[in-house]
Amino acid sequence: MERKRRWFCFFMVLPAILFTVVLGLIPMFTSLGWSFLEYDLMRVQEHGTPFVGLENYRTVLNDGRFLRSISNTFVMTGLVVVVAIALGLVLAHVMKAEYRGRAIVRVLICAPWFVPPVVAAAIWAWLLNADRSPINSALMDAGIIESNIRFLTDSSTWGPFSIPLLSVTAVRIWNGLPFIVIFILAGMQSIPRDLYEAVDVDGGNLWSKFRHVTLPLLRPILGVLIMLLLITGIGHFEINYIMTGGGPQDMTNVMAVYSYLQAFNFFRFDLASAAGGLILLITAAICFFYIRTQLRNEDR
Amino acid sequence: MTTTTTEHMPRATGRRSGRKGGFARSRNADRLTRAIVIVVTVLALVYILLPVYWMVKSSFQTNADIRALPPHWYPHEFTIQAYLDMTYVIPIWRYILNSIYVAAAAAILSTLIGCSAAYVLARFRFPGMTLCLVAILATQLIPPITRAFPLYSAIQSAGLLNSYTGIIIAYAGFSLPFCVMLLRGYFMNNCPPDLEEAALVDGCSYFSAFWRIILPISLPGLAAVTIFTFLNAWNDFLWASLLLNQGDMKTVQVGIGDFSGEGGNVRYISMFMAACVTATIPALIMFLFVQRWLVSGLTAGSVK
Repeated sequence: MERKRRWFCFFMVLPAILFTVVLGLIPMFTSLGWSFLEYDLMRVQEHGTPFVGLENYRTVLNDGRFLRSISNTFVMTGLVVVVAIALGLVLAHVMKAEYRGRAIVRVLICAPWFVPPVVAAAIWAWLLNADRSPINSALMDAGIIESNIRFLTDSSTWGPFSIPLLSVTAVRIWNGLPFIVIFILAGMQSIPRDLYEAVDVDGGNLWSKFRHVTLPLLRPILGVLIMLLLITGIGHFEINYIMTGGGPQDMTNVMAVYSYLQAFNFFRFDLASAAGGLILLITAAICFFYIRTQLRNEDR
Repeated sequence: MTTTTTEHMPRATGRRSGRKGGFARSRNADRLTRAIVIVVTVLALVYILLPVYWMVKSSFQTNADIRALPPHWYPHEFTIQAYLDMTYVIPIWRYILNSIYVAAAAAILSTLIGCSAAYVLARFRFPGMTLCLVAILATQLIPPITRAFPLYSAIQSAGLLNSYTGIIIAYAGFSLPFCVMLLRGYFMNNCPPDLEEAALVDGCSYFSAFWRIILPISLPGLAAVTIFTFLNAWNDFLWASLLLNQGDMKTVQVGIGDFSGEGGNVRYISMFMAACVTATIPALIMFLFVQRWLVSGLTAGSVK
C-alpha cells in the first residue's frame, strides 16, 4: 500500500517536474554557464565559444553603464518596497473598512491589475510627455510649478536620483500596488477581531490599533511580501524597457534591461548572461530565505 | 474616616473624568486619523485612475484634440472614429485572437499538467517532495530574464521562432510553477481529505479518487487558476517580444507597438489609445471573473 502510494505520487508530479526542469532550471543553469564563455554572436562562426572564466563579469563590472544600472536597480526596488507598502497599508484598510460604495472602491483600487503593463507603460509615457502632460498643466494652474517638469527627459541628477528615475519608479509602484494591497488585505483578515475589541476596552484609538495590533501581527506577512517585492523588483524589465529603454543617459537603466540590450542589440550573449548571472545570484539568495520561511511555516 | 472618604471621592471622580478625557482625546485623534486616511485615499485614487481615464478619454478624441495645448481634460469633439480606423493601420483583431489563442493554450496546458502535481504536493508526503517544492518555487520566483537567452536559442534551433508552438511552450514553462502553487493552496484549503479517504476505503485507486472525486469538485478552483494563468500570459511582453515578433502572428502586447515609431513617438495617437483600450478589455473581463478569488488565492499560494 505504502509503495503503491509512493509510485502514485511520483507519477503525478513527474510531468510538472519535467516541465519545470526543462523550461526553468536547465535554461537558468545554461545561462549561468554561458556567462563563463566568450559568446559573441557576431564572432561565434570563426571563434566558437571558448571558456574565459570570470572575464565577462570583469567586463560588465568595469562598465560604467552596468554599475549605473546596478545602483538604479537597487534604488528603484528600495523605493518601490517602501512607498508601495506604506501606501498599500493605507489602501488595505480602506478596502477592509465597511462603508457604502466599498465594492466600487475595491475594483477601482485594483485597476492597475487588469491594465496590461505594456499599455500602462505607454499611457504613462504619454501622460509624462513634458509638453502635453496634464499633470504639468494641472500643477501649473495650481501655481505649484513655473515651467514644465520634464518627467522622462530631465538630465539633472542628485546622487543616484533623477526625475526620470523617480517617474519610472512611480509607474512601477502604480503597476504593483493592487498585488500589494490584496496581499496585505489577505493578511489582515487573519487577525482575530477580539484583539481590536481589547484595544477598544482600553480606550485606545485607531492609530494604537494599527500600531499595537495590526502592524505586529502583519510582520511575518510583510516579511514575505518584502522578499517577493525584492525578487521581482531586482529582475524587473518591462516598464523600464518600454517607457525609456533605459535612457536618458542610463538614468533609468536597470540590470535586466542592460542584460536584454546586450543580448539583442549588441549580440553579446556572454555579457548578457553575466549580467543575468548577477541577477540570478542576488535573487537566488533572497529566494533561499523565502523558501526557507515557506517550508518552515508548513512544518508547523 | 471622613478624611479618607473625602480624599477618595475626588480621586475617583478624577480618574473617571480622566478616562472620559482619554475617550474624547482618542475620538479626536480618530477623526484626524480618518481625515488623513481619506486624503491619502483620494490622492491615491487619482494616481491609480488618471492613466485609465486618460486612455479611455483619448480614445474618443481626434488627434488634434488630444494634442491640444493646454491639454483637454475631456473630449471636446467626441468621436469613435479611432476605433473604426485602427483596424486599417494594424490588424488588431488578428493580434487579439493570437493573444487569446496562445494565452488560453498555455493556461489550459499548464493547469492540466499542474493539477496532478498540485494535488499530491498538497495531500501526501513522499521522498523528494521538498526538492520538488524548492524546484518549483525557485522557477516561479527567479526573474525570467535569467533564463531568457538559452530558451530563446533552444526555441530558435528547434525552428519554433515565430510559431505559436514555441511561445505556448515558453508560456507553459513560466506559468506552470505559478499554477502548481496556486492549485496546491486551493486543494489544501478547499478539499476535505475525508472525501477521498471514503473513496479509498470503498476500493477506489488513488488515481481514480483524484480523477473522479477531487477534480470534479475542484472545477471552480481550476477555472480560477486557468484564468489567472491566462491573464499572466496575456500581459506578457518579454517572451512575446523575443519569440513572436513578426508579421500577423504577433500578440497584442507586441502588436500595439506597431503604432509607435522610433523613440516612442506615437504617430496615430488616438488610434493607439483605442488599441490600448481594446487590449485592456479582455483582461478586464477575465479579471472580473476571478476578482472574488483574489484574496483567498493570495492566502493560499502567491498570485502574481
